[in-house]
Amino acid sequence: MSHSALSAVLADGPAVSPCLVLGDPTPDLSVEMARAAVGAGARLLEIEFPYSDPVADGPAIQAAVQRSLAGGTSTSRAFELLGRIAETCPGTPLNLLVYGNLVHRIGYECFAERAVAAGASTLLVTDIPLEESVPLRRACRRAGLGHVELAGPLTPAARLQRLAAVSSFVYLAGFQGVTGVRRGGFDAMLHRVAEVAEIVDVPLCLGFGLSERSQIVRAFGAGAGIAVVGSHLVRVVGDLYRTPSDADRLLSGYGAAVRRLISNG
Amino acid sequence: MSASPRPRQGAFGSFGGRFAPELLTPALEELETARREIVPTKAFRDELDREARAWVGRPTPLTRAPRFSARAGLETVFKREDLLHGGAHKANNVLGQALLARHMGKSRLIAETGAGQHGTATAMIAARFGMQAVIYMGEKDMERQAPNVRRMELCGAEVIPVTAGARTLKDAINEALRDWTASLSTTHYLLGTAAGPHPFPRLVRDFQAVIGREAKRQWRREFGGLPDVVVACVGGGSNAIGIFHAFVPEKSVRLVGVEPGGAGLDSGRHGATLVRGTPGLLHGARTMVLQDDEGQILEPHSISAGLDYPGVGPEHAHLQETGRARYVAATDEEALAAFEVLSATEGIVPAFEPSHALAFVLRARESGELPAGARVLLSLCGRGDKDLETYFALGRSPVRDRP
Repeated sequence: MSHSALSAVLADGPAVSPCLVLGDPTPDLSVEMARAAVGAGARLLEIEFPYSDPVADGPAIQAAVQRSLAGGTSTSRAFELLGRIAETCPGTPLNLLVYGNLVHRIGYECFAERAVAAGASTLLVTDIPLEESVPLRRACRRAGLGHVELAGPLTPAARLQRLAAVSSFVYLAGFQGVTGVRRGGFDAMLHRVAEVAEIVDVPLCLGFGLSERSQIVRAFGAGAGIAVVGSHLVRVVGDLYRTPSDADRLLSGYGAAVRRLISNG
Repeated sequence: MSASPRPRQGAFGSFGGRFAPELLTPALEELETARREIVPTKAFRDELDREARAWVGRPTPLTRAPRFSARAGLETVFKREDLLHGGAHKANNVLGQALLARHMGKSRLIAETGAGQHGTATAMIAARFGMQAVIYMGEKDMERQAPNVRRMELCGAEVIPVTAGARTLKDAINEALRDWTASLSTTHYLLGTAAGPHPFPRLVRDFQAVIGREAKRQWRREFGGLPDVVVACVGGGSNAIGIFHAFVPEKSVRLVGVEPGGAGLDSGRHGATLVRGTPGLLHGARTMVLQDDEGQILEPHSISAGLDYPGVGPEHAHLQETGRARYVAATDEEALAAFEVLSATEGIVPAFEPSHALAFVLRARESGELPAGARVLLSLCGRGDKDLETYFALGRSPVRDRP
């Protein structure tokens, strides 16, 4: 899917983007979870490729990545699962979260082409920042894949503008730190969202730390166009899934958790 | 295969760069500014020199090793970094970075450690400067380097066990990076090796370069001319780049880095990143890494916790690519034998890390890796007290070469 699909989705108003790790807790179930999320109303999905050294991730996503790798989800397998998700969820833009070494290893061009072929719309490489992302962006452009840069609480205005100039959307980490659910500090974060929304002229995606509908509503009010919920949802997997007999419980629990983030009341 | 992307910041040829999450950019830029603006000042240099003498114990001597040399069949001279405060070359780097952190107004130091030498050095400098110290250490390393854990705690540092992955150095670095992302306004990440995102490889090299600078001057004065070969062990590579740096422009001097060959290069259980790795992105730099075909980082193996790392400083990758330095491996078994030989022939108990460099020298003449008559300068980068428990548990017999 081309990244223009993203604009189409956002034209209908701000969207919650549930995050999942490919292969967590099993390859098949991660595909089913994507379907459950869309069934629960998700219009966007955030898809993380499992990687041995996720330095930007906190404990919940680290655990998910470990479950996935332990189940044998290689990058090739991850692309295959991504393709199945794209088939299962037509019209849902898929943003990939990938660590640089996975992309570097098979080559930026090759990775971008495989991502597009599998149905991704955009790509955020967590540890390839603006200065080093020139060849990556070129590869994305050639392949027709949207590119996304990460920004943080301390990113200065001039740099935000440079990030926005090369991004399909800017992914703002709401908190300074690794991914994970936060308690408190939301007022400062919302202030920051409003400030960044004024500076960047592409959609603003807020991630890191969100776990409640009320936070998301306020983030949308402050100018966020996308709200990613990662660790909170990934933790549902660890909580609900122990053995294969837990599959139904996991899918209904995950769907319910997504629904609570999307609908009021 | 696409052309290798040349890093834009802090490149060493096609290696190096700043491949770190955007949230670390403010800290890395702040550090680079401090490196450029504070480190070259006379006030900083004077303070560094004063503390290096008074607290670290510089300069360290060059020691001839006649009985070891006879065993090797090569004249070998040691640069005695094992005599530094804390028992390893790590003190050079922690002093420089802690001084810089103080200038930057940071009150908290975090560090990763493998063998515990860098953690110990960090704990010691933090105590001296009255700073808070938090050390991340793999759980497996805490077991095999228990005395160092207690030393760090004695100096007032908090040692946090890391339970992810293989529970060794790589995992400790991941955890330190995570801490720093959240704490960068108050905290300096005192990285212990010449790896990581720019500016760390240069920052650490420049603080360790005193090893080679001093050795070169001493060699000229004591023996005349230059050594034919400079040898050092390589894990992340701070000790090796420290002794190599002054000799890189001296084309007559061969540079040899010795990596941990573990159970053997073909066993798959080793940490020989330069010898057997491929280019990748790890801990902020494009460098050589041990990885599978799809880019998952592999778990290394070495008897030496300080060399047990699947990456390496990017400048070594560059020195290898350009042919200026050569990298070889020595196995666990070779290192243990060299550990025994040095103890028995010179009365110096080396750490397991430099035992790899010693092992190379012991075999090099017979294997043809070095020519007869070559005069060798070897960085004896740490002493072996921390490894005694591990060594004795192996139940080996020491070398008896005298009546």
